[in-house]
Amino acid sequence: MNDEKFFAWLDGELGPAEAAEMEARVAADPQLQRLAEQHRAFGAELKGVFDPVAEAAVPEHLAAMVRPSAQVIDFAAAKRVRSMPALAQWAAMAATLAIGVFAGTQVPRGTDAPVQVQGGKLYAAASLNQALDTALASAPAGGVRIGLTYRDQAGEICRSFTAAAASGLACRNGGRWQMKGLFAAPEGQASDYRMAAGMDPNLAALVGSTMTGEPFDAAQEKAARDKGWR
Amino acid sequence: MNQLSPFEDQLASLLPRLRRFAHALSRDPVDADDLTQATIERALRSKAQWEPGTRLDSWAYRIMRNLWIDTARSRSRKSAHEAPEEEGLNVGEDPREAIDAAVDLKRVMTAMERLPDEQREVVALILVEGFGYREVSEMLGLPIGTVSSRLVRGRTALLAMVGER
Repeated sequence: MNDEKFFAWLDGELGPAEAAEMEARVAADPQLQRLAEQHRAFGAELKGVFDPVAEAAVPEHLAAMVRPSAQVIDFAAAKRVRSMPALAQWAAMAATLAIGVFAGTQVPRGTDAPVQVQGGKLYAAASLNQALDTALASAPAGGVRIGLTYRDQAGEICRSFTAAAASGLACRNGGRWQMKGLFAAPEGQASDYRMAAGMDPNLAALVGSTMTGEPFDAAQEKAARDKGWR
Repeated sequence: MNQLSPFEDQLASLLPRLRRFAHALSRDPVDADDLTQATIERALRSKAQWEPGTRLDSWAYRIMRNLWIDTARSRSRKSAHEAPEEEGLNVGEDPREAIDAAVDLKRVMTAMERLPDEQREVVALILVEGFGYREVSEMLGLPIGTVSSRLVRGRTALLAMVGER
């Protein structure tokens, strides 16, 4: 038994042929299965211990050292908007948002809202979050179509998406999808037309300025999903 | 959020992850934030050495890891004679205090503490931070086989210390 190969398999580091070989070996060996389960559980526990650090607010004295040069977002002003129909929520929200400049006071916070504000940041929620977590570019989910998946300069995975009345970009941050941009569909453009049309030019510019390397192909996208977008 | 993503903005968005890595390396929350602060200072000073278009996270993690190695030896010599242990975990604004399973936390932290530095950093980078073997091999300047074998030894030792359920 080659320990290193077993663990490389467990970590998704083997090529397809070697992975299949190891998979078959583990399937035939209850002891290896148990070892795999133990280490998977331990890996989750280890992450569970340290992830709260990354999810917590960064102490002010550290954050102040690298204060972003353009601080344009004031979510404290965001008001509650309840129970709007999904399409209206998207439209209202997208209308308040431009490339990274969120002057909005209408970010919905109802339970169905596709985004939510927390700690001054905007995160995907509800059906959008679900789609970003699970959908592949080849298969739309919950009215959301995934476009490109890639890593940004910070090494985080980002995904562009198109929904009923808006398209946008979300990147991983502290185990969640943080919204990097949201763009309204042009006035009067039917949503089904939009879903089939090309990428919004503003979104394309945002993607172009944040992407490093090549976008993921279908296999990389699926592998990234299976590894929890880490 | 800024489309131009200047260096500082990107570094700012990395801070939560850098803090997590610092906590995994140093165990003590105060040391961890000191290490994070030193890393930010070094990164800002060395800004010109970062090549735009390459990954800023690997670069910043490497800075943190090297700073940790620089200070770890003198620190461990010093702290061996001070009262360290579990009190440190509940002091100050440690974000982990919110965690329910304080006992699990303590067990895991104690086990991490016992790992040799070279195994702990590999375990933290791959199992906690989610880097791939090759990324870690490049980050640490080690052959990939060395990364892989340190990871096997580290995680096996950790699991043995933490115990099976």
